[in-house]
Amino acid sequence: MLTDTQLATLRAALDRIIPPDDFPGAWEAGVGDYILRQLGGDLADQLETYRAGLDGLDYEALAASGRPFAELPAEAQDELLRRIERGEAQSPWPVDAADFFRMLCEHAAEGFYSDPGNGGNRDGVAWRMIGFEVRG
Amino acid sequence: MSSVLSVLSVDKDSPMAIYDVIVVGAGAGGGVVAGVLAEAGKRVLLIERGRSLTFEQVGRDHLRNHRLAHYGHNTGPDLEGNPRVFVDQRGNKHVVQPHHPGYNNNAAAVGGGTLVYGAQAWRFLPQDFRMASTYGVPPGSSLADWPISYEDLAPFYERAEWEIGVAGESDASATIWPRSRPYPMPALPANAQGRAMRRGADALGWPVLTPPLLINTTPYGGRPACIRCQHCVGFACPVDAKNGTHNTLIARALATGRCHLLTGATVERVEVSAAGHVTGVAYIDAEGERRTARAEVVVLAAGAIETARLLLNSTSARFPHGLGNTHDQVGRHLQGHYYPGVSALMPEPVHDGLGPGVATATVRFNHGNDGVVGGGMLADEFVTLPIIFWKRYLPPDVPRWGLDAKRFMREGYRRFVRITGPVQDIPSPSARVTLDPQVRDRFGLRVARLSGTTHPETVRTAAFMFERAREWLIAAGAERVWGEPPGLGLSAGQHQAGTCRMGDDPRTSVVDPWCRVHGHDNLYVADASVHVTNGGFNPVLTVMALAFRTAAHIVGSW
Repeated sequence: MLTDTQLATLRAALDRIIPPDDFPGAWEAGVGDYILRQLGGDLADQLETYRAGLDGLDYEALAASGRPFAELPAEAQDELLRRIERGEAQSPWPVDAADFFRMLCEHAAEGFYSDPGNGGNRDGVAWRMIGFEVRG
Repeated sequence: MSSVLSVLSVDKDSPMAIYDVIVVGAGAGGGVVAGVLAEAGKRVLLIERGRSLTFEQVGRDHLRNHRLAHYGHNTGPDLEGNPRVFVDQRGNKHVVQPHHPGYNNNAAAVGGGTLVYGAQAWRFLPQDFRMASTYGVPPGSSLADWPISYEDLAPFYERAEWEIGVAGESDASATIWPRSRPYPMPALPANAQGRAMRRGADALGWPVLTPPLLINTTPYGGRPACIRCQHCVGFACPVDAKNGTHNTLIARALATGRCHLLTGATVERVEVSAAGHVTGVAYIDAEGERRTARAEVVVLAAGAIETARLLLNSTSARFPHGLGNTHDQVGRHLQGHYYPGVSALMPEPVHDGLGPGVATATVRFNHGNDGVVGGGMLADEFVTLPIIFWKRYLPPDVPRWGLDAKRFMREGYRRFVRITGPVQDIPSPSARVTLDPQVRDRFGLRVARLSGTTHPETVRTAAFMFERAREWLIAAGAERVWGEPPGLGLSAGQHQAGTCRMGDDPRTSVVDPWCRVHGHDNLYVADASVHVTNGGFNPVLTVMALAFRTAAHIVGSW
């Protein structure tokens, strides 16, 4: 579904959207698994947008620094994502850059905070973090 | 729950089957009618397009339920093949699926919405039946009085409370509603959120009470008490403590041996003789076969949208505009409730995880608000699922990504509280269900088209209630509050009502004071379609009470 490069970009972007601190970040919590599962199902119509958006992030990184997005330091990744969030892509994207990023944030949250049955929130770690306990 | 075959079962080799009564829709109203009539000795066919669903089948998918249906939901109707059309305020037409907001869905299953609701069990107030007499009629609205009074319905509210099972504060309720008997079960003890809201109300001098709930707080009806889980509204109950019609009146109906429950079956038209006497229904069964069932009486309880659609689809040479529709009233005055929610962060955690969550309510602002038509109940909220909190209730200045966003969830989730409540719609005749001229469902039937808005006066009332919600949270010590009052829109959804309004005059109503469709001696409606106005409360107990009353009338006049 996604190339290795796109996967690496996805992983890096997700870990800036929900970074690791003393709780896991998005990737470790299974958000990637959530998104890939959805791209094979309910989000199949967004697969092309994901490919284009991830390629776009990589292109922006290469254009700005000569390095792929996944290899940038975190601060540079954040700065690039803030630019994209404002819609300020330096190259023309085949999809709306700001919309793509907004969607990625939405899906990241879904994968992080919804029930583990959806593929993310591994072992309920996000719920432990916020204090939502399922008792019964 | 198993289906007990009635004495007269549907024989697949014989397309005709004859009953005393056919009930269309096994929800809050239909379930009550089926139970009362079967226990009164009638042979009942209860047809439901959804299925019987267990707790496990409904599940706990936080992305597919009746609070957050972004990717689907956890009951019927099926997402494919059951479209509706929603016309937005610019007149653009959208073909929508059941999980899209414009569809205005309510759960299709045995029990209907009562399988997965939050189970708030409010009676309407006496003035709710006299909205026009109390407030006058805002120009352009269809605000009207009911042809019956609270006193007419009170004995049936009581039946619903005892026979389905309501837990509440009897003494507090008796200071607000004329009532004869207490609730059968005591209210749930407050949770931390409820106590914090009660302190705020006390500071303002506002009287509050625990919302009555159709939930067991003690063992009742052969089922256990609530275990205070975190997944009430939008999901089925893990211990069957949430009282709906599936586990009360429908179970009783099946136990008589005189009720045949047919699931996965869609009624396509009500059949009438040339004289207007209803003879039965035509339906498509779970295998896709077209069948007919005949009965002496037909009761429609498919919900305000589908019941109106069914009446409109039941055309014939004598009734080219459908049944009950000689005066173009079927489908009009569609109502639901606006919700003017205000969110807040409290200085200390108020989430202790004790569900259902909603714990403290006030009805002080349902009426008597200077310069405002009506009002509504205000209460705190059910336990908010984390992803719902993130998607809907973050303060506007909190980022949607990064460490700050993550920290806000970590520190804020347990301090979050929300006050909201159903604002009484001021109805408009332009808010309506019609049949779309083009779009058909998987059976080739014309689908419901939803259009119009409530009367704009509703927006004013909602703005007033928004300020009360804000006031309450600040008095409770909220560190910050945020939210936007609702704008003008079409109101229906899970509280859908009004499309077959009750009235004495056939020119301005669809059913008479006994919920019998004008012009047809043996056709009734037993869902919220009959509501003239929809109160400032969750309407389900009123649906149930009216169904008890209508069923008693059908038995009494048999």
